[in-house]
Amino acid sequence: MLLAFGNFTADPSVNLQLLIGGLALGAIYAVVALGFVLVYKSTDVLNLAHGEFLMLGAYFALTFLISENLNFFLGVFVLLLVMLVFGLLVHYGIMRRMVGQGFFAIVLITLGIATIIRALLLIFYGPTERGRLDLLPQGSFEIGGATVRHVDIIIFAVVAGCVLLFFLFFKYTRLGLHMRAVADDIEAAAAMGIDPDKVYAMTWAAAMVMAGIGGLLFGHVTGAIDRSIEAIGLRAFPAAVVGGLTSLGGSIVGGLVVGVIEQFANGHLGTKWREPVAFSVMFVVLLVRPTGLWGRKDLERV
Amino acid sequence: MTATENPPTQQTAQTYRPSTLQRFLPFAIAAVVPFILGSTTGDVNFWWKALITVVVLAVVARLAWKWTPRGELTHREDMRLWRTPSDRSWAALTTFGLLVLPFILASDFTPPMGFPWATWFAVVNLVLIFAMGAAAFNLLVGYSGQISLAHVAFLALGSIVGGIVGVQWSGGNMWLALPAAAVAGAVVGAISGLPALRLKHLYLLLATFGFHFVMMLVWREYLQEYFGFVGIRFKGENSPRIASWLHWLPGIDPDQNGEFVITGQFRWYWVLMPITVLSILFMVNVVRTREGRAFAAVRDRDVSASLLGINVARSKLFAFALSSAIVSMSGVLASFYIGSRGEDSFNVQTVLNYAIIIVVGGFSSIQGAIFGSAFFWFLPEWFKWAREELWFVRDIDFLSDYPSEIDLAIKGFLVVIILMFKPDGLAGMWRDFKNWLGRTLARSNP
Repeated sequence: MLLAFGNFTADPSVNLQLLIGGLALGAIYAVVALGFVLVYKSTDVLNLAHGEFLMLGAYFALTFLISENLNFFLGVFVLLLVMLVFGLLVHYGIMRRMVGQGFFAIVLITLGIATIIRALLLIFYGPTERGRLDLLPQGSFEIGGATVRHVDIIIFAVVAGCVLLFFLFFKYTRLGLHMRAVADDIEAAAAMGIDPDKVYAMTWAAAMVMAGIGGLLFGHVTGAIDRSIEAIGLRAFPAAVVGGLTSLGGSIVGGLVVGVIEQFANGHLGTKWREPVAFSVMFVVLLVRPTGLWGRKDLERV
Repeated sequence: MTATENPPTQQTAQTYRPSTLQRFLPFAIAAVVPFILGSTTGDVNFWWKALITVVVLAVVARLAWKWTPRGELTHREDMRLWRTPSDRSWAALTTFGLLVLPFILASDFTPPMGFPWATWFAVVNLVLIFAMGAAAFNLLVGYSGQISLAHVAFLALGSIVGGIVGVQWSGGNMWLALPAAAVAGAVVGAISGLPALRLKHLYLLLATFGFHFVMMLVWREYLQEYFGFVGIRFKGENSPRIASWLHWLPGIDPDQNGEFVITGQFRWYWVLMPITVLSILFMVNVVRTREGRAFAAVRDRDVSASLLGINVARSKLFAFALSSAIVSMSGVLASFYIGSRGEDSFNVQTVLNYAIIIVVGGFSSIQGAIFGSAFFWFLPEWFKWAREELWFVRDIDFLSDYPSEIDLAIKGFLVVIILMFKPDGLAGMWRDFKNWLGRTLARSNP
């Protein structure tokens, strides 16, 4: 049978466990979705390479924190600094020339960047899988028969902190104001004396730093760090779209909603239903509200 | 001397009409000579054949160039697919090349420095299959502007239809599976295009990507239900064959058991090449019709297109249905050619590969799909040869240690570089080359 539904269970502790697992997964999705949103919000680019950026972050975390055995805070600082430089490189090397090109050409160039990163990581780190990171507290506690890992709570806190930080940044700083102005209307912003080039560079740097944080966190919850973790970039799409691609807070809500739905589909229907269900939810949201739950509506002039 | 007597302006003003025989003669030569050359085996030296081939190439190109209508053209002449001397010349050359190619590749010629000859035939056949799929993809994404990532979903649909109709029902009847896949692809394609009526650009891309995952689920379920983990076997007893009532056709020489099984690169070429050429010509012609012009109008601005009297919804769905039908057919061909399809045959990387093909070949040009897939398949082949045979490449250990990774990196860098500096891709470079050739010829031979 094509629609071989799995075993539905009414056991509350199983469902609670699924809910908690879903929230943990959703927190990871929120980290990734935040990266999408940051780039899309101010540069109008759909960055299909974000999964690879995250993989880069995870591998760099491996290098700095495990192989080089740096102090945790120093290692994280170096990691984020390196990612920031990479973000500037991506902008000044490639994306800068693509401003004003067609939508699909820009999507494809991010695919090209993704391919390059994947190939370079394969060359320099090899195809063998590495163990996961174990620098954050590894313990867990129980609520009503369901296990909650400390790492999940830390991830959740970090994501919420990042969103709050970005929210304050966009609202109260000068650069944030510039970013919002450029996102709103690049020509008007340029006429007001804002340098869109600088703003875009900052955006890419911020997205890369976010990917670094995401890689560091995801490296703690994934089974093993290998080249398949880039798939998280694709799997987080529904989360970003459900929340709205232009809304920072929406990425958290979208991440949690999609994470919980996916985890329930996983538990009750089977692993193979995870992606189809997530993308179907995204599809329904797109049909009802094409810009997501909190997305900005674009006006189209003829 | 002659130039002063006949200034070029007068020459172009002269009307010239070739007779019907003259119009078709170059193509007839191009079609017949390869078979004559191919049937003379053994007694004729290879180099003689090569010389004759080159001479025929020149003659065919020259005659097709010369016997082209010039001057005031009627509407009918103006609407021909190959209208200018240059078009007709290249068309005749391509005809000759496509027909002579399998005979050259089947010969036991050993090129110098161990250039990979044995694997060429397989690569050429793969290029044919991929060119068909990529051209349909380009028609949808590039020409009609309907961004879709559901390409591989339709390859999988082709494999499902090939499995149901071609293997389960008829035990290896590819000829039945092909039209069935076209119909199924058109219907499912039109359904998958429904989001395009409401969504655009980014959101359409994501919606079709969702369709990809749904189709992958269907594919896995189908495999598990009927074939288990080994996947579908399209070769052996399921290989396509020519029915016995067609064995009188020239060139069909049944095997000992009285069957003509399509196996081996040479026979596959004669199946794949006509199907690919016909479907690409079909797409090229669709682009020139009212429907095709509607595609471009909808791509550029759908609101204005609707004001021109174009049914935008119909046009979008038609683009999806047409592209998906051809992609499904290429999926059937790929399944039967490759011989087996399993759980891992379709993945996200395949979507990216097709994207790489159309970017490198040239966005929104059907010709580009051919260049792109040729490049995509020949690059690893030549890179492998260079690593093994060229002394200055062979000594670089780094290249031999990471062959496939460097392949991937080259493709990625090429996509980025081409999109940044040469958005027209290989098709654009080919156009520039033809223009340069035309200018040079015109200057030296006024």
